[in-house]
Amino acid sequence: MPDGKHKSGRYRKIFVKVPGGNTKVHFRERKPSKAVCGSCKKPLSGVPRERPAVLGKLPKSQRRPERPFGGVLCSKCMRAVLKEEVREALQ
Amino acid sequence: MSIFNKGRMCVKLAGRDAGLKCVIVEEVDKAFVVVDGQTRRRKVNVSHLEPLDQTLDVAGGSREDVKAAFAKIGIELVDKKSKQAKPRVKKQKVKKGKSKKAAKTDKKAVKTEKKTEAKVETKVEKKPVAKEAKVEKKSEVKAETKIEEKSEVKAEKKSE
Repeated sequence: MPDGKHKSGRYRKIFVKVPGGNTKVHFRERKPSKAVCGSCKKPLSGVPRERPAVLGKLPKSQRRPERPFGGVLCSKCMRAVLKEEVREALQ
Repeated sequence: MSIFNKGRMCVKLAGRDAGLKCVIVEEVDKAFVVVDGQTRRRKVNVSHLEPLDQTLDVAGGSREDVKAAFAKIGIELVDKKSKQAKPRVKKQKVKKGKSKKAAKTDKKAVKTEKKTEAKVETKVEKKPVAKEAKVEKKSEVKAETKIEEKSEVKAEKKSE
């Protein structure tokens, strides 16, 4: 009889082929949703979709793009923000 | 006429140098220019630049000219020093004294030798003694049986 926590849908099933030849069900936590742009809400590229425990083990340069607002805004929105800043300073 | 002329100050919009100020050093064609300054010196598309109202005098277009021009505005450019890999020095093993492992193995070998010698001695000492004892016992048993038989035979004869 599976545990209640395994029936709730919180965990994802993984079918593992064990050395004996049988297939066994393993339960793992689900991955978080994709990171999205703070402005246009489009999914960000260059941001891995992993749990915090895995992300913590990655080097910082692999967690988000190496540019201003990397991992927060998409490149399009970031360019728009920078343009706006520059033009405001000029006026 | 393009606004992206030699000496035009710009802000880079794309890539890891985004948000940094640079100056156009060379015009390659309509779409591309070479920039230098706070950013890395490289060829960029003009669509990745936001022009500013300032222009700098970069006559030669070399890195030194750009540094001098930026210093006049009050921006100091610092060149990043790339680290040079040090030559690796391999550690050579010193063979003067025996290592701990070697000393341990030597001790073990000595112990095993002693044990084997002791076993051999005990075997050599014990075996003949046992045999002699067995021989003595056997001879004694035989003698006793013979004496008993003789005594029995004599007793039977007497009774007859």
